[in-house]
Amino acid sequence: MDITESKINSATVLALSGRLDNLTSPILEKKVDALLAAGTRQLVFDCGQLVYASSAGLRVFLGSAKKLKAAGGQAAFAALTPPVHEVFELSGFTGVLKVEATAAAAAAIA
Amino acid sequence: MSTLRQTLTLRNDPAEIPRLAAFVDAFCAPLTPTPKDVLALQLSLEEAVTNVINHGYADGQPHTFTVELAADDRRVTVVVADDAPAYDPLARAEVDITLPLGQRPIGGLGVHLVKKLMDSARYERRDGRNLLTLVRTLGPAT
Repeated sequence: MDITESKINSATVLALSGRLDNLTSPILEKKVDALLAAGTRQLVFDCGQLVYASSAGLRVFLGSAKKLKAAGGQAAFAALTPPVHEVFELSGFTGVLKVEATAAAAAAIA
Repeated sequence: MSTLRQTLTLRNDPAEIPRLAAFVDAFCAPLTPTPKDVLALQLSLEEAVTNVINHGYADGQPHTFTVELAADDRRVTVVVADDAPAYDPLARAEVDITLPLGQRPIGGLGVHLVKKLMDSARYERRDGRNLLTLVRTLGPAT
């Protein structure tokens, strides 16, 4: 998995590509924790190039959303690929997380 | 009707996950699975194997365990076999996926996804080993 960081207005965007699995999800968790510690409160996960997410990845997504909310911030998710959308649906994430079609739309609500 | 069977031996190390993913892909390729079939098998295998790697062996020592894939026509059977202490991953309480964000527990989704994505899941303890058997019939060949 690769993580590319950018900004859309005041929101931080993490573009994820590859596979978010048991091996790679700790990398994303560390990244999110570092951003939170540095003051980031609006965070977008751009999943347009993320082809796979297992429960280890979902755990980091859910944990990140909870941490941001607890800090008075907001996480949003963008451009889910079909396999990632499928696991979001099966896990009930589409009901509790903010999911948008594009990173720009997600940044607007983060 | 033809039967295809392959076995992979893994160490109890998260670094084995890419090798598992490549094994699943290579096994499935001749069966021309649908994208949903690939997701179901990749994800279910990772969840089952991760359970063994992360929670199976508490002694901190290196161990090996096996993953067997068998295809009988389009019916794929997965057996994960390990000699760790007895543990039934399917006995976990069901996850309530309707809870709001603040009340959602962080864990327990792996087994939930396996149950959703596979047609059947069965655990047994036999001859000192944990056997987790997962079955999914693939969609029509593409």
